[in-house]
Amino acid sequence: MSTVTVTRETPRWALPRFMTAEHPFPWLAPITVMLLVFGIYPLAYSVWLSFHKRNVVSRQLDFAGLHQWTRAFSDARMWHSLETTLIYTFVALAVQLALGILIALLLDTDRKGYGVLRALMTLPLVVPPAVTGMMFLLMQDGSFGVLSFYLYALDLISPAQPILTQPGTALAAILLADIWQWTPFMVLIILAGLRALPKEPFEAAAIDGANGIQTFLRLTLPMLRKVIAVAVLIRGVDLFRIYDYVYIITAGGPGTATETLSFYAGRIYFTGDFPYAATLSLIVLVVLIVVSNLFVRLFKVRF
Amino acid sequence: MESSRAQTIARDVLAVLVVAIFMFPIAWWALSSIKPYSAIFDRSGPVYTGFTPTPDNYRVTLLGVSRVDIGMEQGGEAAGVIKGGASSYDSRQSLLDSAIIAVGSTALTLLLATLAAYCLSRMQFSGQQSFLFWILSQRFMPPIAIVIPIVFMFRDLGLRDTYTGLILVHSLINLPLAVLLLKSFFDDVPREVDEAALIDGATRWQTFRRVVLPMVKGGIAATAVLCFIFSWTEFLLSLFLTTSIRTVPVKISTFVTSTATEWGYITALGTSAIIPSFIFILLVQRHLVRGLTLGSLKE
Repeated sequence: MSTVTVTRETPRWALPRFMTAEHPFPWLAPITVMLLVFGIYPLAYSVWLSFHKRNVVSRQLDFAGLHQWTRAFSDARMWHSLETTLIYTFVALAVQLALGILIALLLDTDRKGYGVLRALMTLPLVVPPAVTGMMFLLMQDGSFGVLSFYLYALDLISPAQPILTQPGTALAAILLADIWQWTPFMVLIILAGLRALPKEPFEAAAIDGANGIQTFLRLTLPMLRKVIAVAVLIRGVDLFRIYDYVYIITAGGPGTATETLSFYAGRIYFTGDFPYAATLSLIVLVVLIVVSNLFVRLFKVRF
Repeated sequence: MESSRAQTIARDVLAVLVVAIFMFPIAWWALSSIKPYSAIFDRSGPVYTGFTPTPDNYRVTLLGVSRVDIGMEQGGEAAGVIKGGASSYDSRQSLLDSAIIAVGSTALTLLLATLAAYCLSRMQFSGQQSFLFWILSQRFMPPIAIVIPIVFMFRDLGLRDTYTGLILVHSLINLPLAVLLLKSFFDDVPREVDEAALIDGATRWQTFRRVVLPMVKGGIAATAVLCFIFSWTEFLLSLFLTTSIRTVPVKISTFVTSTATEWGYITALGTSAIIPSFIFILLVQRHLVRGLTLGSLKE
């Protein structure tokens, strides 16, 4: 290590202690200002908006009490979008976790060539989500999409009812994009978890004659608990606020069948009803804060 | 565990097959980008071979060659191709916009996050855990929840549709990841290093700048790559906060118009957008898992 040249002069005037580098203040002040101005202020403004109402005549915002909130809770479309969001989140999480574990186990070996396979698995992660949406739109196009073509050939889907025009298959189409892009995330994290496992318990289990499935269920899975909890938390949060794939692949359609809560809020925003859009987006936030806090406590996740 | 030769081969085949399935959408996408118009829109079945590869989609999006000129080169036969879609397909400005915003926000994020992360790793103060959790909670904020007020705020501040505006917002979204990740890298450096430097008479700032910072260079590079990729791929905020500045993901989405979806240009620009990210991510693969889990898991 290079020698550190020390130049410590006696200051002509002394800074207050909290301004010196010994105190956390100067280190944390810049980020705090940034987060307050661009994180907390907008949030406070959103909350303020959610208690107001657009006056169509005067173009002013009038105080409206709980109007937007009661409106949201009696809005069937809000409940439908919340339901869609929940289905989307749980299906995607379950599939990504299951596939993630299976593929991680498959790729977890030191044999030649597997390093390349693992590197290739990271590729979907760097594709811009908007581009991923486009990829699946291209493949699932009703008349020339490659995936549609094979599904027609296998007689799984009728050309009379293209994937993106039916509510059930349209949601599956978005899910497929998400699963493609984010299963590698689970694979990488679980692979890291597998690599960090101690060897001894597995040797003992082998001596005791445990078979592969027993070893996996009784040993591997419990030991991966923490890793899986972190992965599920981070992925779950991202899934619940899903916007990009919906916007690109179905735009919420057919009708409002694939409208998620974030997407619905965005759609309301584009109609100019900002107070209601803010209220809907706050619902997304509140659900996320409550659920993720519970999750962090339950699984003792630490950052 | 002994496994038979047949099992080994079965595993290899399965592993290659699984990875191949995951590579298929990208391969199909890249293949489509060099297909002529007729091969992309072939309704009789998927076209894998048997078409003449063409650089035209790249020439239009990356070199700014006009579609009319390409139509002229090909003679009358291609005249039918030029229809619909009023927007410009020349994406050079978008690539520049995206690069400026990604580099700018990465630099700003690193500046703010390194200071905070060093402090959170080295100093004890009351409310430290709450402060960390507060930063983490920003990561859970749905973009849609902050974008609406930010639109108004930026309008008042004159930041709408500016590089500065988008740089600030992308930094905001990247900060939690950067702070937590960098803190985990600082935590890897033993405290004794700082103590030795301080005893030798270095100030806290000198200890940070000249002693500890050089030791976490790799971690800073990994953080930078993840921040860059996030900004490069971000869609929602750029969509809401800009109109004349068009980052690449937003630009691509404008190629879908009511009259025609220009798959040739979309796939060409999309392929070009993936390449830099993939190269970067391979460079920091060692730290990727730590990055993806906000520093909570180390590989």
